[in-house]
Amino acid sequence: MPAALSTEALVVVQSAVRRFGSRAALSGASLSACRGEILVLLGPNGAGKSTLLRALCGRTRLDSGSIRIAGGDPAERAVRRRIGFVPQSIALWTQLSVRHNLELFGRLAGLKRAQLATAVADTLDWTGLAARANDPVASLSGGMQRRINIAAGTLHRPELLLLDEPTVGLDPVARSEVHQVLDRLRRSGMSLIMTTHDLVEAEALADRVALMSAGAIRAQDSLAQLIGRLFGSDQEVVLMLAAEPAPAIRDALRAARLSPTNEAQVWIGRLGSGLEQLPELRTQLISAGADIAELRIRQPGLHGVYIELTGQVPQE
Amino acid sequence: MFRAALLQLLHDRGALLLSLFVPAVFFLIFAEIFATAASDEVQVHVALVDEVRSADSISLLAALQREATVTIVPGVTDRATALDLVRRGTADVALIVRADGEALADAAGLAAPPLLILVDPSRSVAATVLSGQLQRAYFSALPDLAVGRVAELIGTEFTEFSAEQQAEIDSGLAGLRDSAGAGQRGGWSFEELLDRENVVGQTAALNHIAYYAGAVAFMFLMFASAQNAVGILDDQAAGILDRIAAGPGGIIVVLNGRFMFLVLQGMVQNTVIFCVAWLLYGVDVPGNFGAWLLISFCAAVLAAGLGLLLVTACRTRAQAQILPTVVILIMSAIGGSMVPRFFMPEWLQTVGWITPNTWVLEAYSGLFWRGETLQALLPGCAGLFLTGMLALAISYLLARRLVQR
Repeated sequence: MPAALSTEALVVVQSAVRRFGSRAALSGASLSACRGEILVLLGPNGAGKSTLLRALCGRTRLDSGSIRIAGGDPAERAVRRRIGFVPQSIALWTQLSVRHNLELFGRLAGLKRAQLATAVADTLDWTGLAARANDPVASLSGGMQRRINIAAGTLHRPELLLLDEPTVGLDPVARSEVHQVLDRLRRSGMSLIMTTHDLVEAEALADRVALMSAGAIRAQDSLAQLIGRLFGSDQEVVLMLAAEPAPAIRDALRAARLSPTNEAQVWIGRLGSGLEQLPELRTQLISAGADIAELRIRQPGLHGVYIELTGQVPQE
Repeated sequence: MFRAALLQLLHDRGALLLSLFVPAVFFLIFAEIFATAASDEVQVHVALVDEVRSADSISLLAALQREATVTIVPGVTDRATALDLVRRGTADVALIVRADGEALADAAGLAAPPLLILVDPSRSVAATVLSGQLQRAYFSALPDLAVGRVAELIGTEFTEFSAEQQAEIDSGLAGLRDSAGAGQRGGWSFEELLDRENVVGQTAALNHIAYYAGAVAFMFLMFASAQNAVGILDDQAAGILDRIAAGPGGIIVVLNGRFMFLVLQGMVQNTVIFCVAWLLYGVDVPGNFGAWLLISFCAAVLAAGLGLLLVTACRTRAQAQILPTVVILIMSAIGGSMVPRFFMPEWLQTVGWITPNTWVLEAYSGLFWRGETLQALLPGCAGLFLTGMLALAISYLLARRLVQR
């Protein structure tokens, strides 16, 4: 992370509302993003993240509210030149070479012929794919394809890059490569707004996170600020059960203010700052019939923040 | 597996359409065409012009009009109009009782025959039918002329009827019989009254080749356009449309780029097909290059626009592989790309005008068949071009659905 973020707001979304029939995909979302930061949008499926991304690149008109990017409306052509978009899928012509893809997307982004050659050469250089420039995209590894997928959205040096789950489906090595690419783009001064379901990735990359649910931003800030605001001095308790709990035990766990996770045997909750409450909780759980394999406390993280703000267990 | 196959078919509306609906429609179209082509009761539309207006010609034409298989095209007063109607296909054939020929009563083969048939080589069967009907009308309306001509024939060929002459008559009749048996003309024939002229300079075979060049070219232009336009849905599935739609040009860039490519592809296809027609069959493309280029360009614009329209009207790739195929096949069958329009019953020829295939075929036929000038072809070409652009404009609207979810 950079030592100090710019405080100049590049993106300002105010009370954005977008309805599809009777369903409100955005119901008054407000958001801001500064120059040179990575803002990670988190939230359950259907929270409105994709709709917000489309609205940010001018593809969805709002029913009410406003979006300003560098002071302009993203529906305007000139403003869209300042934006790059990286779809979730490998949005490339995979039978064509890396170079041809970059040249084509550069032209589509509005680069002139003279600028294009330099932009393509630079991109091949920083993605480390100069040696594979003439190979078909289909012949590259998943990580290389992801790098080109991101690079294809940055040829025109946008001020704002929007990424829809840029690492979905990647193995840890390829994911790490993509993280390096994103970090490099941030350090070049570009602002990145990305969605992900991977909280570890969000913790590693985000300068700030914004949590969405039901079409609205529930909170946005740096992770440390959010934890401080939501948890204060409380700690997070993690319970691992030896077996999947029966319904009666699940009720007892909820009564003890523990929440389920995606793993049926792992539950989390919060405790006061000291360790005094831990033996009491343990006794309460054992008497309820829980077969405890491990009970530990830890500093609260994004997982806890997510549950606090959305009321749902994150999908990872 | 039987049940699985049945359920799959029932759930796949496109496959159901192709396997049940399209064959039935094709059967209906071709049954109509061949029922008409093979029927005994061929209706011949005749443009009649009587330049002589003698008692004989009036009687003859009145008798001809009583023939059940002859339909007279109304409003024809002169030879030029009749010629134009045959060129346009409004009349199958024209019959002129001409002022610049011999009289019906005493035609002796010394000047032009009294009757002139104008026929398009592609409809030569209509001239044959008319010739037969005309012969019947002649013998029923003007029997005195017919017998007079026989008597004249006897007078000129067999003089007196003495025993010796009778032997000569027998010998002469035997000779005529022998000549007829040998396929030679002998003595007087009704055909001496008739002259026949093609309304275009080319042969029927050459006209058919020019027709089929246009017919085949446009059908495959449509198939190739739709096939290539499906790439838009592939781009949508890959997320490429999303990426481009977020750029400064938006989704219109995608359609305009495809459109220009499809027009160029169509021009190349037209060039290849007509080059073959020119080099192998002698269709005069170089002599009509400007007009050919104009028609081919407008046809390519039309095919490109319609290809994009058909594909953007689909919501999925599976639909886009079925719907355009069905529509293009049916349009081609009705519009004359598979079976020439002049083989079709009149109602089907009329229905054919709703298809772009017919518009393109009429434009090419106007040039290569009827010898129309560039000026005469301009309104038709403008229609092709504007319809193609309208289809492109509609596909702009439809394509917005592809990136707005």
